[in-house]
Amino acid sequence: MFEIIRNLTRRKLRNGLTVSGIVIGVLALTTLGAIAEKANYSIDGGVRYFRDHVSVGAAQNGGFGGGLLTVDKAKDIQAVDGVQAACAATGVSAKTDLDFSLSFGPGDQVTAEQPGCQQYSTFKLTYAKGHAIDETGTGQVVLGSDIAKEFKVNTGDTIALPRPPKKYNPDYVGHDFTVVGILDKTLTAPDNFAIVSFKDGQTLFGDALPAALRGRVDPTTLATGINVYAKAGVDLDKLAQKINDTVPGVSAIAPSTLVNAFKSASVFLTAITTGAALLALVVGGLSVVNTMLMAVTERVREIGLKKAVGAHTYHVLREFLTEATILGVVGGLVGLGLGWGLALGINAYFASQNQNELFLVTSRLVTFALAFSIGLGMIAGVVPAVRASRLDPVTALRYQ
Amino acid sequence: MAAIEMVNLTKHYKQGKNVIKALDGVNLKIDTGEFVAVVGRSGSGKTTMLDLLGLLLRPTAGTVIIDGVDTSKLKDGDRATMRGESIGFIFQEFNLLPTLNALENVMLPLRYTKKDPQGEARAKRLLTEVDLADRLTHKPAELSGGQSQRVAIARSLVNNPALVLGDEPTGEVDNETSDQLLDLMRRMNREHGVTFVIVTHDMDIAQRADRIIRLKDGKVASDEPIGAREGAELAG
Ligand SMILES: Nc1ncnc2c1ncn2[C@@H]1O[C@H](COP(=O)(O)OP(=O)(O)OP(=O)(O)O)[C@@H](O)[C@H]1O
Ligand SMILES: [Mg+2]
Repeated sequence: MFEIIRNLTRRKLRNGLTVSGIVIGVLALTTLGAIAEKANYSIDGGVRYFRDHVSVGAAQNGGFGGGLLTVDKAKDIQAVDGVQAACAATGVSAKTDLDFSLSFGPGDQVTAEQPGCQQYSTFKLTYAKGHAIDETGTGQVVLGSDIAKEFKVNTGDTIALPRPPKKYNPDYVGHDFTVVGILDKTLTAPDNFAIVSFKDGQTLFGDALPAALRGRVDPTTLATGINVYAKAGVDLDKLAQKINDTVPGVSAIAPSTLVNAFKSASVFLTAITTGAALLALVVGGLSVVNTMLMAVTERVREIGLKKAVGAHTYHVLREFLTEATILGVVGGLVGLGLGWGLALGINAYFASQNQNELFLVTSRLVTFALAFSIGLGMIAGVVPAVRASRLDPVTALRYQ
Repeated sequence: MAAIEMVNLTKHYKQGKNVIKALDGVNLKIDTGEFVAVVGRSGSGKTTMLDLLGLLLRPTAGTVIIDGVDTSKLKDGDRATMRGESIGFIFQEFNLLPTLNALENVMLPLRYTKKDPQGEARAKRLLTEVDLADRLTHKPAELSGGQSQRVAIARSLVNNPALVLGDEPTGEVDNETSDQLLDLMRRMNREHGVTFVIVTHDMDIAQRADRIIRLKDGKVASDEPIGAREGAELAG
């Protein structure tokens, strides 16, 4: 074993290059994998979030006032068979400026749902700090973990929602809220939510309407959507269909449509990871094969000697395989270390810029990257090792 | 008692239409504890014979019997085991592994044979016997040619072999060193009771063996104990 390590350290340059090959491969695998993992987590969260209920919006072909939904539609939907609760909800953008941050969710939203509806959701929110808002009151807000970080606020602070625009905008109307709670991280939509009471939600929605519409509607009758929670055992997709069939002027989206959209994003990301893995396989694998083949040629006499003094074919095979595996392990550890460090560094930078984190290094990713590089070293070492072990001792000993 | 017996030992190489008879029907017996020198012109088959004796080559015909074992019937793995347990090699170019120090080089054959708790102690003792007790941790690059070959001699003996084979073991060193190496091999031959077969071009060296076997065109041209061959014809 010591001899093997010494053999490796003697040929510093070449083994260094080989290890670099594996390092680059594993580095690519770790970083791209961490992006995919982060995305997959968000997607998983999204799937769980959207599986929870049927989202109902205004029918798109509604003529005048298209896109506006009234609260009383919730009562119509409530009457549909299989519905447990139909809760009117509002959602307006939390920012008045356009926001191009990298995000797989719907972005920063100020959301509100009619009082008493949280109990129907299977997606339970938990509090890192503080407590829930008074659903029937006004002026209180609970912030998702990302949005709290982004706006640098804590419980007890006051925050204006939506956020004031950077440039003066005569249409902007803001309202002050007291932060009463901050949510635990969910890795999906609620991380970017500011949850207010339904009354406040309607006010914000009313203020966000185009100026021309503002005076003509009563915001207390408005909603941007209706969250429909089904009775136990009711298929949400069928329920969405039934709502579309029986309630005029609304459009219910089957959760599977949303879930499938997320799933296909997930497939795409998995493809990226697999691509990265293949790249790593080619780069790292070829460099190990190359090094080991050169090692065989260079050390033919050594192999001949070992066979002369009693080494069996399997002894030589084992020594070469061990060498290749060590290259794989070292390259894997260094590559993983660098990749992990890079991911943490970039995450820290993003966090300092109040952006969403880009990477998520999971234990399964670490396991995969290590197993991958060790396996790579072994597989790439097999061919040269077999070649080395098959050498005829006489030919090998006399090799010039 | 014959430690080694060569029976019709033959090695032919095909080269296009020609057949090169590197070794051609050699019958010889070598007793346990003998010190044999093999001489002959270049291409006469000395190395071929030694490689066959060392089980590094398989004969085209005939066989080598070592301590009663007909080696032509052995599989490759058993031949490797037999090399490790019963045969020691000394090469002209020393063939020490550059990454290992003297002691580790001597211990190399132990790696491929049955675990022997006394192995390391024996390796140290052998290095002391070849007068290198103070060079245990030196790398081959830090040793002279004579010292390197002494390490190789110690290595050839570390597994307590019955037979040590040397293909021009003194070929790379000057005359004085060559003499000292031969002293050493004779001493090992005496003290350990090991059979030595060495190939040499140097008649002064061959003179100091118990017996000289001369090969010519793959056949035994002469085979005489050293006492009987004093005189002029040695140089031929
Ligand atoms: N692998 C081989 N293929 C073909 N011919 C070979 C091979 N090995 C040896 N020979 C031939 O067999 C003959 C005997 O070779 P060998 O090496 O045994 O001679 P030698 O007595 O050791 O010579 P030297 O004193 O030069 O070392 C030579 O003619 C050589 O060319
Ligand atoms: Mg020769």
